[in-house]
Amino acid sequence: MELLNASGVSKRYGGITALANASFQGHMGEVHALLGENGAGKSTFIQILAGAIRPDAGLFKLNGAPVRLGNPRQAQSAGIAAVFQELSLIPDMTVEENIWFRHEPLSLFGTVKAAALRKATLDLFRQYKFPSLLLGREVRRLTLSEKQLVEIAKALSHNPRILILDEATSTLALQETQWLLSLTRQLAESGRLIIFISHRLGEVRQVADRITIFRNGTSVAAYDMDKADDDTIVADMLGRRMDRLYPERVPAALPNIALKIRKLESEQGLADVNLDLHEGEILGVAGLYGHGQRELFHSLYGISHARGTIELWGRRVTLRSPRDLLTGKDGIALVPEDRATHGLLLSKSVRENLTLSAIYRCSRFGFTNSRREAALVRAMVESLNIKAAPEQPAGTLSGGNQQKVIFGKMLLTEARILLLYDPTRGIDVGTKGEIFQLMRDLSRKGYAILFYSSDLVELIHVADRVAVFSAGRIVKNFEGDAVTEHHILRAMIQKWDA
Amino acid sequence: MKASVLEDEDRNTREVRAPRGTSRWRKQLDERASFLVACALLIGLVAVYGSLRKGVFSFEELNLDTAAAMTLLLAASGQTVVLLRGGIDLSIGGIISLGTVLAATRFGHHPQTAAFWTFLIIAMGLLVGAANGLIIAVLELQPFLVTLTTWAILSGVALIVLPTDGGSLPPGWMKFGAASWFGLSSSVWLLIALLLFWCWFRKTRLCLAIRASGSNERSAYLSGVSLIFSDVAAYALSGTFAALASLYLTTQTGTGSPTIGNGYILPTVAAAVIGGVSLFGGRGGLVGTIVGVFIMTMIGNLVFVLSVSSYWQPVVSGVILLLAVLASSIAEKSAKRNLLA
Amino acid sequence: MNALAKHRAVLFAYLVTILLLLLGGIISPGFLSVSHLRTMSLLAAFIGIVALGQTFVIIGGGIDLSVPWVLNGAAVFVSLFAHNHNQPLLWAVPVLLAAGALVGAINGVGIAVTGIPPIIMTLAVNVILQGGILLYTGGAPAAAAPRALQFLAVGRVAHVPVVLGIWTLLAIAATILLSKTTFGRYLFALGTSPTVAEYSGVPILRTIVLSYALSGFTAALVGMLLAGYSGQAYLGMGDPYLFTSIAAVAIGGTSIMGGSGHYVGTIAGAFLLTILTSLLPALNLSSGALQVLYGLAILVSVSVASTALPKLLFPRRSTG
Repeated sequence: MELLNASGVSKRYGGITALANASFQGHMGEVHALLGENGAGKSTFIQILAGAIRPDAGLFKLNGAPVRLGNPRQAQSAGIAAVFQELSLIPDMTVEENIWFRHEPLSLFGTVKAAALRKATLDLFRQYKFPSLLLGREVRRLTLSEKQLVEIAKALSHNPRILILDEATSTLALQETQWLLSLTRQLAESGRLIIFISHRLGEVRQVADRITIFRNGTSVAAYDMDKADDDTIVADMLGRRMDRLYPERVPAALPNIALKIRKLESEQGLADVNLDLHEGEILGVAGLYGHGQRELFHSLYGISHARGTIELWGRRVTLRSPRDLLTGKDGIALVPEDRATHGLLLSKSVRENLTLSAIYRCSRFGFTNSRREAALVRAMVESLNIKAAPEQPAGTLSGGNQQKVIFGKMLLTEARILLLYDPTRGIDVGTKGEIFQLMRDLSRKGYAILFYSSDLVELIHVADRVAVFSAGRIVKNFEGDAVTEHHILRAMIQKWDA
Repeated sequence: MKASVLEDEDRNTREVRAPRGTSRWRKQLDERASFLVACALLIGLVAVYGSLRKGVFSFEELNLDTAAAMTLLLAASGQTVVLLRGGIDLSIGGIISLGTVLAATRFGHHPQTAAFWTFLIIAMGLLVGAANGLIIAVLELQPFLVTLTTWAILSGVALIVLPTDGGSLPPGWMKFGAASWFGLSSSVWLLIALLLFWCWFRKTRLCLAIRASGSNERSAYLSGVSLIFSDVAAYALSGTFAALASLYLTTQTGTGSPTIGNGYILPTVAAAVIGGVSLFGGRGGLVGTIVGVFIMTMIGNLVFVLSVSSYWQPVVSGVILLLAVLASSIAEKSAKRNLLA
Repeated sequence: MNALAKHRAVLFAYLVTILLLLLGGIISPGFLSVSHLRTMSLLAAFIGIVALGQTFVIIGGGIDLSVPWVLNGAAVFVSLFAHNHNQPLLWAVPVLLAAGALVGAINGVGIAVTGIPPIIMTLAVNVILQGGILLYTGGAPAAAAPRALQFLAVGRVAHVPVVLGIWTLLAIAATILLSKTTFGRYLFALGTSPTVAEYSGVPILRTIVLSYALSGFTAALVGMLLAGYSGQAYLGMGDPYLFTSIAAVAIGGTSIMGGSGHYVGTIAGAFLLTILTSLLPALNLSSGALQVLYGLAILVSVSVASTALPKLLFPRRSTG
């Protein structure tokens, strides 16, 4: 029986079309997966379903009756609960306060009793066999995967008819992932509709009954799971044969060591990291979430502080702050994980963003030279194929172009060591290819690139070597033909033996 | 990742944990550091004061200090709620001035008129606050600016009603200020009422919604909170408390003044911050603010008892404010270091 | 936001200023006379110079609440140091300007290094300065300002008031600093997003300290000029300038959040506020009514600049 029907859903942001005439049919008792490349519109679509975004157009029917989903409360009353990638938890409140927020059990005087909250939470945990989670702690002190579990509990506490899970497994450990997948089937069996977004085809095959594929802002295909094979799925997702996404791997590594790390350790999760990054090589970093990759990048860029020995181009350095590191040819540059909050000034123009870190290149005695600046900007926009006018606010660009602006910004600093943290996350396929080619070109020019991607397939196709993290250490290095998905996975999940 | 791989391995992949204090006390310490420091400071100040003056730990002293502090206490209570929302209310200066001025010129001699105008003044505070909240939420303007302008407007109205200090309050009204029951002054009873109010209010859904909106506005919105309603409620409460503060003030001074409210604005913020309320929203409570107000009162007392120029009071208050914020900032940073990134 | 929207507030402010001038001219003869215009420009200059520093601080994402007593302190001490003679001014003025900048630098360091919110830091400094100055002077008004200072404040060179000349120079410097220097870029970046600024290698400490030092400098400058203008320093003379400096910045279209703005707008704000004040006797308004007008003026200005307003007035229809 059809539970949810959406049709004609569209959403534009300025000049960018996020969704154009997308449609969806979900049934009771079904686990329905949404697949699609990053930037294809899945996230926008489910945010609209959950009332977090207002669509420009769209008709929604629940059990055949039209329903309005204009804000989170309307979606909630329609029985829709969502677990988003960007969490919606209140940092200064405890786990149980967050789970029952807005529908807490109330006492006589309209107050919320802590004991009642605790009991309700424990009952909820028991009902769904939650992995262990400590009550009474403020959410801001939880790890990312614990926060994810709280978010899931919060959605379940509303006893929703429709549960949306957006990449909910990406921050969970293995056991927790398995728990969530079997929970999904359990919930579906009780008559609910689960909308499940994941880029891990293996998980999708495990739990989904039906899939809908999004591409370029619209839903292009929908079929039953058992009638779909991987090739058809991928073809529908990409819209074309997957040819030459990845440039040819040409070993260009030189013997010079650009970055030498010995015994790097920190309180944020680095245990004893040793690494050599050569001039001209692309060194990939792999590891399950939370095992140290992020801390490594942050420490190398001066954002967090670590102890150990670090040599840049043969010279010992102390890494204090990004300011210290963006110092020209011998410096280190970072393309950060979060474009919008760490990489770009969204309200400022492309030009201002591009030149911010290297403003000294177009200024003398502190005065800026607009002509020189315009020339630098023009050159970078051209060479990176950035589809935007220099005076356009960065916030109006597509994800891919925004990322290119960040690349351009870092390239203008002339730093030859590049730290790339998940540079293709949330980017459309076309731009991804350009970025991979760019990385290869840069390595050929002698840049030393440290590269992390949450997508293992990407990693093995682009990196020359792969270093695998586990529990804050690099446990294995793979080179050449040994760089395969299987090898790396095994290394990631193996317990490190002293 | 292939599903079979997942099933193969049953190794435990625990995430890396940073060393963290596991005891409950340590956790409480981290989370409420500023409040505890403020309590310690207050106790210290009372002890010093007590050693300099005999008979400090008596009801009489409590009555005196509470009466002196009550206006600020009431005003700061409202400010606390607004700060929890992550905003700030500068208009309380205007509300207090206008309240005293209206009381001093309109109360007359009949209890009915006085009652009527009391009601009106409170309504004024509530409506001004609600208007503040509405403008802030709907037009998405900065609280600092909006309440700055409301303050100017209300101060102006106060000046129009009563250009210079003056007016008078009926003697019955003044009696309330000096009254006492069971050995405790009216102000102490008010304080008790305030605490009871907070005990109840802090557990209501409204207060949780306000705190959530201050902690993370987007999360609160996604969770179904009406931001407009939170803002209107928070600022309306602040306005109401400011009106109550103005009424209490008149029981102490017996006159109206179009400028007296100005001196209360920033001290309410200072007291709350000293007591552990975060300027960014979401953290803190009224008890902390009350401690902060008494700290500032104690400083005044000490300055008096030490016979130094009263000009030392603002200096010491300023230094303490800085130290309090510094302490909480350091506590925050050390708490962050114990967190996983 | 297209170019017109960005400048919406500034244009609006100048428009209202002109309208108010015309209104004054209609209501009161002599309102538009050269001498009256000159007086108003002088008063606007005082606000405008203090607001210059405030503009920089606000663009950088902060606010300076220490303006009143930096101003007052400079006024009091310049009179005290000079003892009614002119020569001491030669060293007193630069020293006090430097002192103002130093107070600002202390504000900046406190904010940048310890993470204390600007409201608290500058508020505390203001209160501490107030206490300190009151302690030093014993609450008694200071000596009279020396002649040279008075000349500086009210004197003219070729019919143009010296103060206006100072203001013009400062205005040009401010505009250049904001739009044509790396400092300006860094300031705007910092005000837009401190996180992105950090990740981009912006020298955060230096930028913040410079902006607050500038604010302290302008406050001290106006303090001394005001002492010359009124003939002597008095306690509390700085208090009105807190409100008016912030108001001028806000009316001029600079966002209180930081990250955008022009000094040109602040100039409009300074004029608007001054003309409003001058309309007082012309419109037979009490100072109370003036306050009300002030408040409404700012409220309307910032509402005009609000980004939410167009969405409210012209809602986009959406279904579902």
